[in-house]
Amino acid sequence: MTSMRRALSLHARQLIAASLGLIAFLGLTGVALDQAFRSTLVDTMEMRMARYADVFWNELEFDRKGRLIVKDIDNLPDARFNNYRSGLYAQIQTAKGDWQSESVALFSLPELQDAGKVRTPELSGPLQLPVGEDSSIGAYRYTATAEFETRKGPVVATLRIYESEQEIFRQVAGFRRSLWAYLGIAGALLTLVQVFILRWSLQPLRGLEHELSALQEGRVQRLGRQYPTELHPIANSINALLDSERGNLELSRNTLADLAHSLKTPLAVLQSQLENHADPERFREEVYSQIQRMNDIVSYQLSRAARSGHALYSAPIGILPHAESIVSSLEKIYKSKGVLCEFEIDPKSQFSGEMGDLQELLGNFLENAFKWAKQRVLLTARPLFQPAAKRPGLYLCIEDDGDGIAPEDISKILQRGVRGDERVQGHGIGMAIVQDIIQSYGGELSVDRSSELGGARFTITLPSLS
Amino acid sequence: MRILLVEDEAPLRETLAARLKREGFAVDTASDGEEALFHGREVPFDIAVIDLGLPKLSGMDVVKGLRDAGQKFPILILTARSSWQDKVEGLKYGADDYLVKPFHVEELLARINALLRRAAGWSKPSLECGPVKLDLAAQKVSINDEPAELTSYEYKVLEYLMLHAGDLVSKADLTEHIYQQDFDRDSNVLEVFVGRLRKKLDPDGSLKPIETVRGRGYRFAIPRNE
Repeated sequence: MTSMRRALSLHARQLIAASLGLIAFLGLTGVALDQAFRSTLVDTMEMRMARYADVFWNELEFDRKGRLIVKDIDNLPDARFNNYRSGLYAQIQTAKGDWQSESVALFSLPELQDAGKVRTPELSGPLQLPVGEDSSIGAYRYTATAEFETRKGPVVATLRIYESEQEIFRQVAGFRRSLWAYLGIAGALLTLVQVFILRWSLQPLRGLEHELSALQEGRVQRLGRQYPTELHPIANSINALLDSERGNLELSRNTLADLAHSLKTPLAVLQSQLENHADPERFREEVYSQIQRMNDIVSYQLSRAARSGHALYSAPIGILPHAESIVSSLEKIYKSKGVLCEFEIDPKSQFSGEMGDLQELLGNFLENAFKWAKQRVLLTARPLFQPAAKRPGLYLCIEDDGDGIAPEDISKILQRGVRGDERVQGHGIGMAIVQDIIQSYGGELSVDRSSELGGARFTITLPSLS
Repeated sequence: MRILLVEDEAPLRETLAARLKREGFAVDTASDGEEALFHGREVPFDIAVIDLGLPKLSGMDVVKGLRDAGQKFPILILTARSSWQDKVEGLKYGADDYLVKPFHVEELLARINALLRRAAGWSKPSLECGPVKLDLAAQKVSINDEPAELTSYEYKVLEYLMLHAGDLVSKADLTEHIYQQDFDRDSNVLEVFVGRLRKKLDPDGSLKPIETVRGRGYRFAIPRNE
């Protein structure tokens, strides 16, 4: 099968959808972890800075003149304070003098405004810190203040520690490398698992496909596997369709074979008569009767061939419109007889099958009734409901006020192919046709005397479909 | 009785036409739908027998065309299709009866006679007016149950007059329906037939079955029995 644009396979659809979900999930996870890690780093930095500040406050002294002295610069909390441009800079400002760590050396840190103010410790940044003439670095700034008692009164010292972002960048980059590596591995693993799950869950479909192609190649006759709940109805429907198709094929084969075989007998009779030089008058009669026989055979088989014989997928047909059109035809043909046909049709009654079959049923029985009736014909139809049935069955009853059928003739009429009345054309074959139809729907036909009209009563019941 | 026979199968058409002529019909034949519609619109037929499967124009269209043109004569359709769907369809379009092929010629004749009777308002198989009884199927006439010996032309005249018993039948009408297209139409011949009929039906002159309406035509004067 080739179509102009083939629809995307179920496999591809699921894979694409799940992969997009996975990418979004892993991406968001990565970004969130990254953010969390960064803020942890900054928190850690703040704690470290606070510890540094404590050390600085311990090392801080004021001499007799009240000047600022940092006692032992080798005892600073981090060696980087003493290394030139190490990225870690400290600055202390008081009213009595300033101090800068060795690492600052050739450039100067920005002057602090209103140095005497007492502040709560805070970490801010990243901000731009000028280092030298025309270059600057991104850095965090920690600011804290402490009050010292000197002989000349209290002095407020403000400590500022700058730390370059480089360290954070480095750590973040390292974290990211391993984070994305792990996420990548997880993603790949999940995709693999997903592919496996997909194959596993689509396996029944693949099985169905295989069975169908096996069916096409004629290796199997019907779908035999156990399918999951979702596919079960499909497999069942396909099987039902197959059975009915096979039934149809069988039916038309049989019809054709029956037709061919049953025509051979009258042909053989004619041939033998022709070769026996029979008396011309008798030969004439024989030709007549064999022609009649062949005609019956052809009509009967034609009507069988026209039927599909199953009600599985046909839409239900209302009885009333068909009954009306047939009765108006019959009223035309039997105009001079003046037969009155009454309906007692339940509007809910419907025929689940081929329209042609319904027309044959109604047509043959009603014509029969019109033929034998004196004045009245009654057509009754009602649905036969049964619990749990998908479609109701049908009860049809055709009565007339004619002479009726003698009990001993009833079985003869019900015998296929026996003609109840030789005078009227097509009578016997019509009976055979309707019996065939009723049988193909699994229905039943009974003949008795009408209690209401006194003539013949034909009752047809077609079972409901479940 | 003038009949239009439409059938494309030549052997069947010729056999049927010959048989109908032997039965005393004036037969016009057509072998396709267009020809049939043309004849049917022009000629006042008493009945038409039309096959459904015709070349050029289908039998169903011919029936529709005739009814649309206002023709009211009965139409019997012949069909090879025996399903009820086809029957219902044919009758819906204005046919009055159908016959499924193959059929016995006797069956066809019986149906034709029934349709003719019905069209003229008779419901029983024989036409009865007073003591005169005409059996359409057997083509026999009797008076007080005594068979009357009529020639085929006398029978035809009587049949037409009795079918339309009570109605005025013009000489032209009578000629139209009794003779075929190419027959010599001499109204004197008709008068001779009517004269002989009167003698045979009413030897003592008491019954007066056929009335002459001067300058206009004839009327079968005995009232219908039904």
